[in-house]
Amino acid sequence: MMSLLKSLTRIGSFAAKELLEVVRRPGAFMSLVIGPFLIMAIFGMGYSGYRRPLDTVLVLPPQTGISRDPATYQRLAGPAIHVVAVTADANAALAELRAQQIDLVVIAPPDLRQRLRAGQQSDIEVEYNETDPVRAGNASVLATQLSDKVNQQIIQDVVLKGEQSPVGQAAGTSIPPNVVAQPTVGKPVNIAPTTPTLALYFAPAVLALILQHMGVTLTALSVVRERLHGTMELFRVSPASPVEILLGKYIGFGILSGVISLVTLGLMVLVLHVPDLGQAGLLAAIVALLVFASLGLGLLISVVADSESQAVQLSLLVLLASVFFGGLVLPLTEFQPIVGNAAYALPVTSAIDLLQNWMLRGTLLRPWELGVLVGLGAVLFVLTALQLRRIVLKG
Amino acid sequence: MSSGASTRDPRCGDECTVVLTDVTRRFDDVTALEGISMGVREGTILGLIGPSGSGKTTTIRTLTGSLAPTSGTVRVLGEDPMHFRASTRERIGYMPQQFVLYRDLTVDENVDFVAALFGMLYRRRRRRVREVLEMVELWDVRGRRASRLSGGMQRRLSLACALVHEPSLFLLDEPTAGLDPLLRQSVWRELGRLRDRGRTLLVTTQYVGEAELCDQVALIAQGHLVALGTPDDLRRQALGGDLLWIETDRPIDARSMPDVQGVESIRQHGPSELMVVARDAGETSPRIVDAFSSQGITVTASREERPSFDEIFARLVEQHARREAAASEQDAEGRGHDVAA
Repeated sequence: MMSLLKSLTRIGSFAAKELLEVVRRPGAFMSLVIGPFLIMAIFGMGYSGYRRPLDTVLVLPPQTGISRDPATYQRLAGPAIHVVAVTADANAALAELRAQQIDLVVIAPPDLRQRLRAGQQSDIEVEYNETDPVRAGNASVLATQLSDKVNQQIIQDVVLKGEQSPVGQAAGTSIPPNVVAQPTVGKPVNIAPTTPTLALYFAPAVLALILQHMGVTLTALSVVRERLHGTMELFRVSPASPVEILLGKYIGFGILSGVISLVTLGLMVLVLHVPDLGQAGLLAAIVALLVFASLGLGLLISVVADSESQAVQLSLLVLLASVFFGGLVLPLTEFQPIVGNAAYALPVTSAIDLLQNWMLRGTLLRPWELGVLVGLGAVLFVLTALQLRRIVLKG
Repeated sequence: MSSGASTRDPRCGDECTVVLTDVTRRFDDVTALEGISMGVREGTILGLIGPSGSGKTTTIRTLTGSLAPTSGTVRVLGEDPMHFRASTRERIGYMPQQFVLYRDLTVDENVDFVAALFGMLYRRRRRRVREVLEMVELWDVRGRRASRLSGGMQRRLSLACALVHEPSLFLLDEPTAGLDPLLRQSVWRELGRLRDRGRTLLVTTQYVGEAELCDQVALIAQGHLVALGTPDDLRRQALGGDLLWIETDRPIDARSMPDVQGVESIRQHGPSELMVVARDAGETSPRIVDAFSSQGITVTASREERPSFDEIFARLVEQHARREAAASEQDAEGRGHDVAA
């Protein structure tokens, strides 16, 4: 009985100690409780689930003789497609598609009527520009559906107009049944430079997330450890200025991150065969900016955290927020605009988009995101330097 | 070697490298230092001695600029520590009480880091790292990680880091704590050598006996400066003068001893032994021998007694407490009179 009591006392001492330690570190406790709740709350309020319809331009040469009213086709296409315009200029529409200003271009052949009369099916080209295999699949399905709708419309036209419709005029001729049933066939064409597998498509995004997480966790413990172990007192007496200390840390961790980035990128491209269509120089610049901003984020955590455990918690919260809001899993367009814009406070948000476009397309669709990384890195550097100065001067 | 930036202060009788004037430091409602005033002369060792929690580390941290005094002024190398210039910081060697170096770095990597922190260039750094590691007897374990050093070795490593950039002022917070007696002696020998080369050292210690090894000693208790002076001054202050032990050839009564110039008090120590408190042992001792001789008594042995510094320290703290109590009583009386008036 006595030994049981002693055992319970020992267990109780640990339980009480753990509770006291948590309570004595309010910062760690708050980030443990409030942090995940905050992320979930922002996600709950900010995620709309609204999937934007595909902006579509219809190219209908005048000689097709069919309706040019966008509203007609919008009714046909349904809510998943937004008919932006009906035009005869295929080149202009394709240029917009290449610039990713629109999502789909539907091109009807100019000899649609003649082919029908001749008892031949016509191909309706549906072009899209998607490296994301999920979105590419979706576009392809929508293209097929659109083609079916067009066929329905043509058949309905025959029934209503009889002899005067193209099909009706051809009724006397021997039109094969399959052409009567399906006068047009949708031919989806993806004009994106690569159509990687799902795994390869996500590789640049995962790389961005890995590099950010590595940068944040490498540095998050750095200053807090020096503060708690008393090393900061040595710095305080030394002639080293807070900016010198900070620059030294950036360079040290930067070199380390650079080596890790190089190895990871090399493995991705050479072993996993992730497409890399952009030039190496800009790829290196994107990675360098991502590392710069991530180190800044980690160092900021390090100078504000009141303990090592809080620094670890905050790093994990950054990771959690990055997975939710960084554009890795859910596109930013599916969030409320305020949340989608705020997500750019995470270095990974710009980096995912930049890396995916540069590696998989060889182009930057939103070059201003480079500026976001520069600005974010600079702001984080200044904030960290100010806080470090406060720590060094005032203890 | 001159520091070149001292403060003229009568307390040092010369140029002061460090001057504290009426320094008080409070942490919320706790007073860690109360009205401390002292100066450290260039090229000397000042030992800051006191029990744990007496205010030694607070004093050192006030001198490094880590803590601002609540009131009073501090001048170190002619500057306010809160606004040290970088060039002034380069001339200060600091050894904190705790081991604050990097546990994952090796011994020589740690010293090299600190040397670089103080702006030493590669060639000089390489030479100095070896010199200081040999000095503190850590050269043979230079490749060992700091986490794998014993407590004593870690103290020596910290000392090496404080020495490496050849500063002119050393602020050493308990450099001998946790060291074995032999190593403590070796550390003090090195501190003595630094002093001989013109460096100024302010060293805190809990080992009261180490006061003997300092040029000046400041005794601190409960944030108050109890006494300040050379070890001999403090001894005289505690005992009222030098202590002489006298043995005679026959039993003697202390009360029957003739008046001798320079004798402050006499105490019976045994039937034929006396303890004499004299202003100056060297001058008074022959006079005592003569005085006994004129009475037909032969002094068979005499020597100057040197009580341990533990005892001296205890006496000084006691005297200080009595003075404080008397002062507060007087204050209370004064207030009582004021009220009555």
